[in-house]
Amino acid sequence: MVTIRSIPSTPGSLTYTDLPWIINHIEDRCTLCGKCTSVCPTSAIYLGYRRQRIPQIDIYNKDRKTSYRTFAGIRQRLDVEHRCIGCGMCSMVCPNEAITPVLNSNDDRLKFHIHQGGDAWKRGGRRNSRESLLDNIIFTRISMLTDPALDAGRHEFYLNTILGRILSPEEYLKRKEKGQWIPPTREIFPFIIGSMSFGAMSPNMWLGLLQGVAYCNEVLGIPVVMATGEGGCPPWVLKSPFLKYIILQIASGYFGWDEIIRAIPDMQCDPAAIEIKYGQGAKPGDGGLLMWYKVSKLIARLRGVPQSVDLPSPPVHQTLYSIEESVMKMIQSLSMAWGFRVPVYPKISGSNSAKSVLNNLVRNPYASALLIDGVDGGTGAAYNVSMDAMGYPIASNLRECYLDLAAQGKQNEIPLFAAGGVGKNGNVTQNGMALIMLGASGVHIGKYVMQSIAGCLGSERNRCNVCNLGICPKGITSQNPKLYRRLDPDQVAQRVVDVFQAIRTEMKKIMAPLGRSQSLPIGMSDAIGINDKAAADKLKINYIC
Amino acid sequence: MKGITEDYITIKGVDDKGKRISSKDYEDMVQDALKRSNRLILWTKGQHNVGGRLRHESGSVFIRVKGPVGQRLGCMGQPGTTIICEGQASDDVGYLNIGADIVILGDATNGVCNATAQGRVMVRGSIGSRGLTMTKWNPDYKRPELWVLGSVGDTFAEFNCGGIAVVCGINPKNPDNILGYRPCVGMVGGTIFYRGKTDNTYSGNDVRLSEPNDEQWQWLVSQMPQYLETIERSDLLEELTVREEWKVLEAIPPQEKSLRRSGTMTIEEFRIKVWEKAFGGDPLRDLAPGLDREPIGLIESGDLRRKVPFWANRQSAAPCTYYCPAHIPTVDRLRLIREGKLDQAYRLTLNHTPFPASVCGSICPNLCMSNCSRQRVDKSIDIALLGRSVQNAEAPELKPPTGKKAAIVGGGPAGLSAAWQLALAGVEAHIFEKDNKLGGKMAQVIPWERLPRAVWDAELERLLKLPGIHVNYGVNMTKDKIEELKNNFDYVIVAVGAHEPRRIPFPGSERVIAGLDFLKSAKSDNPMKVGKKVVVIGAGNVGCDVACEAYRLGADDVTLIDIQKPLSFGKEREAAERLGAKFRWPAVTKEVTDEGVLLADGGFIPADTVIISIGDVPALDFLPETVETIKGLIKTGEAGNTSDSKILAIGDVEKPGLVTDALGSGKRAAEYVISSLNGREWKSFKIPVIQQSALTVEHYCPDNNTLSEDGEADRCLSCGSCRDCGLCVDICPTAAISRIDLSDGQYEYRSDDDKCIACGFCSDTCPCGIWIMQEFE
Repeated sequence: MVTIRSIPSTPGSLTYTDLPWIINHIEDRCTLCGKCTSVCPTSAIYLGYRRQRIPQIDIYNKDRKTSYRTFAGIRQRLDVEHRCIGCGMCSMVCPNEAITPVLNSNDDRLKFHIHQGGDAWKRGGRRNSRESLLDNIIFTRISMLTDPALDAGRHEFYLNTILGRILSPEEYLKRKEKGQWIPPTREIFPFIIGSMSFGAMSPNMWLGLLQGVAYCNEVLGIPVVMATGEGGCPPWVLKSPFLKYIILQIASGYFGWDEIIRAIPDMQCDPAAIEIKYGQGAKPGDGGLLMWYKVSKLIARLRGVPQSVDLPSPPVHQTLYSIEESVMKMIQSLSMAWGFRVPVYPKISGSNSAKSVLNNLVRNPYASALLIDGVDGGTGAAYNVSMDAMGYPIASNLRECYLDLAAQGKQNEIPLFAAGGVGKNGNVTQNGMALIMLGASGVHIGKYVMQSIAGCLGSERNRCNVCNLGICPKGITSQNPKLYRRLDPDQVAQRVVDVFQAIRTEMKKIMAPLGRSQSLPIGMSDAIGINDKAAADKLKINYIC
Repeated sequence: MKGITEDYITIKGVDDKGKRISSKDYEDMVQDALKRSNRLILWTKGQHNVGGRLRHESGSVFIRVKGPVGQRLGCMGQPGTTIICEGQASDDVGYLNIGADIVILGDATNGVCNATAQGRVMVRGSIGSRGLTMTKWNPDYKRPELWVLGSVGDTFAEFNCGGIAVVCGINPKNPDNILGYRPCVGMVGGTIFYRGKTDNTYSGNDVRLSEPNDEQWQWLVSQMPQYLETIERSDLLEELTVREEWKVLEAIPPQEKSLRRSGTMTIEEFRIKVWEKAFGGDPLRDLAPGLDREPIGLIESGDLRRKVPFWANRQSAAPCTYYCPAHIPTVDRLRLIREGKLDQAYRLTLNHTPFPASVCGSICPNLCMSNCSRQRVDKSIDIALLGRSVQNAEAPELKPPTGKKAAIVGGGPAGLSAAWQLALAGVEAHIFEKDNKLGGKMAQVIPWERLPRAVWDAELERLLKLPGIHVNYGVNMTKDKIEELKNNFDYVIVAVGAHEPRRIPFPGSERVIAGLDFLKSAKSDNPMKVGKKVVVIGAGNVGCDVACEAYRLGADDVTLIDIQKPLSFGKEREAAERLGAKFRWPAVTKEVTDEGVLLADGGFIPADTVIISIGDVPALDFLPETVETIKGLIKTGEAGNTSDSKILAIGDVEKPGLVTDALGSGKRAAEYVISSLNGREWKSFKIPVIQQSALTVEHYCPDNNTLSEDGEADRCLSCGSCRDCGLCVDICPTAAISRIDLSDGQYEYRSDDDKCIACGFCSDTCPCGIWIMQEFE
């Protein structure tokens, strides 16, 4: 019988050395100010009282007594719900550098217990693996007195890409002469803020991003666009002149589309494009999920659903039965919605079947592009197993598609966009340009945006990654105003500007030595190399060592 | 420059055969001539690097270049060298010049002054692209200067670090743009004076456009005449000294650059002028009117906290109170003792039970103690000790008589408990007892070893002294009698207990004595005899009592058998084991003979006396039809209320249990009656038990401070009830918590919302589990 006096042991009993993050609290520096426990997003830490017994061991003295010392310090809870997630907010607020989570170098036993309440573990973030093939691709073609030397700081560069179907010159001229329809195109910056929904993102984050994007376009002339993700767009934004910087996403849950359709007659401009989501690299074969914690009054209103309900999107669109039909029905419906003036393209997760989809798009006159999202893409909420174990790396998937297009001579007609792990370890321009040289016309970045622009603390060591729970300590993925008001939209916008200016500079630094300044080096694979023979062979690029 | 036409040595750039001399040989010829004269006329034929590295003992060298000159005229020019090129010059004039004055009376092509560090280049025409690029300025020397009468080509002054350029815009190559395309990229120092139209493509990140200031203008007008004289265009002086026509491009210092925003407006300006203007206000105003999205910090107080502390004093029950069927508030009793109010402490106890010494202090297994939180420190509070100390305390004050009365059928612990509560509340309690003494099984059956006679007598006497209690002995209850009671009393409470022994019809069962009869007899003045060997069928706690009494009455060897693992525990079991009783199980009785008990498994236990003790059932034949029963027990609600609204049932008639359960049910029923008589709704005890995790037991140390009421009072953790220690006030890091004296001698602790940051320290510290942190939307 477990009595009050007993220390119970359950199958899930863990010690602090079993947890992935150990709170290192330096008692003699602590001023007991309470800030760490106040800020902790999971209530993982508390003021713990401890009693120390000090026996007076003295064999010659019969009058020995045991004394006790009671002392207090910050301790961590040991249950799964209140585990330390390693976000480090405690360190951020500590005035005395007295507390910090430390990655456990011992066994991490948490994973054996993290499935709770009859469900498997769900989280946000991306595949918990720090490896990145893209980081190993470097740019080896450097003009040394051979090609005309370009100076990134001095020369002018044309860095934009085209989203939309590009007709062959003959076809273009023929249609132009006859006054026929010409597929819509957009000239955009090749680094695109990938789909993150208003709902996954907090209002301050989402609007801060858009404000920064608008600034990049209107003040700096960098034509950055951002994708909404599924979940709609605030009506006032739909009716604003900033809609032209937005790629609206339609996905299998169709959340928010009533407001979009309602706003069409009042739109001042067309959106940048329409993205039809069939899959997501972070959780291929699985649908979207906005967990109930995040379905605030505002989000419920925006998505046209009741408050505080789980909002799953099914893995597949319910009315689509084959590739041909999917592509035809969806692309045509959505092209028609804006009078065939807006590029419409599908987004799929990286997969063995990507080439089949692509070949279908090639034959569809309305398809504007294909976006392939690789295994290292991020998400606001998914089952861990989908995130960690499902998916297809972007590099080879994109490359195969591009070479397939090249074999048909169509590589300049239907642009491929790539996503999934671009900037995973902070090397956003390197990774993006590598993909461009492998054949992408541009890349989508999401997690990098959160990290670089809003200070997301998540990492591939499973740090933080609680986006799904709505308790984001930085206010990026929370719908709780007490959390998202921590994020100043002006500062987010400023970071958008800083980050895209930096990407622009780095692109020039990469392009100048290649001798390219007036067109993006799409598919310029002779300029890159990798120190992995197998990867080099697979990607058909130079092996270097 | 006067006199430079005299004593010149002329060096031709072609040999006698008219063939061009190489730049290398020409250089040797020039250096050789310099030994003879410092005035040279160079009739060049496209030689490169002419005019550099020349030094003469006089300190000055004058050179006139007459022929077509090659690239890098004046390359690495030395201070003291003056070069006058009479025609056009090729690329890189003044390359790496460190002090020569180079005059070009025609145009110069690209790269003029590239990497020049000191010296001057003065051009009467225009120059090509990339002029004044990569210049240096060593602060120990004068700045390099480039004077151009016409215009300059594209990418002028890139990475200019110290050079001064003056571009006069006279007869420019392109009248619409005298500075060329995109000048000043990467320019970090120096100044460019210009006069004329440009395309304004200069690098705004690097340089700033302005009017010349006074100092700059002074410099320009002071230097202009000499330049014009050198290039023989002094006629232009007036035209070139109109201040309004001049502009200046100056490098922006890096310190200032780092402060500059990336675009032409700040993000804030953009928000106000473009962003919000386009929306006509907040972009979410239709979806969430009035939504406040103003930035806040990480540590906030007031409404911005995600949790708030709540002083939940007495909102949860201590385990002792919770698990006691009579819910005796031991925590309060011990608080009163700590406060020195012993009498009040006793009164409080007696308000919950008439028998603290007999039950809590003697026969109760003390559910309070087995759940006591103090066990986490050392051992539970000794509540039996506390109970015994109330033995001789006076009954609490009585409420005035209400004129109401209730009949209680049965004077066992349940009935007596109900009678006690009713009498205290001023309701007459008429007890109708079948026997000739009170106490039911408690008095009739439990051995005096466990319930000392003196204790029982004293507490019964205290009860009987209450004026509201009337006892009728020897009343046999019948259906008619019950009807009569129903008519004459406001309520009838049935508390007849379970006095029909349960039996099993195995062969020889007639030889078996019922445990209940045995115990009653044993406790009577004429106890029955027992043999030396005794077998007790049924090894529960009553069976243990039977065993003890059997030993007392002369048995040598008592065996208790049971069909399952015996359920006996505590004092009864211990007493039996101490006397030597053996327990045997599983053992199913097949037959009882004169020799003993034959078991189903073939075993045999010799016995002179066999007693069966497998429970008793109530005898309920007197009950009216209106009272529903189920499996031989009366069906009751929470307060003992039955299907007959005037009849309640308590104790073993509703559910067999401990004496303390009987006391509790009596108390509940009495309270129900009292509430109903007062027209109030009865409320059951609904306070949840405190969570052990809410307590902070580390404030207490293990000790041996027992065996006194005061000692126990100190040891009590006061679960769920504030002990007024004030630790919360001390630990609160923002001094948000204070103790408030209330008017009636009470107090409370309050947290100031404006100071509290919701750290939870109060909750983590509170020894009693009072402060709780609540989620705050």
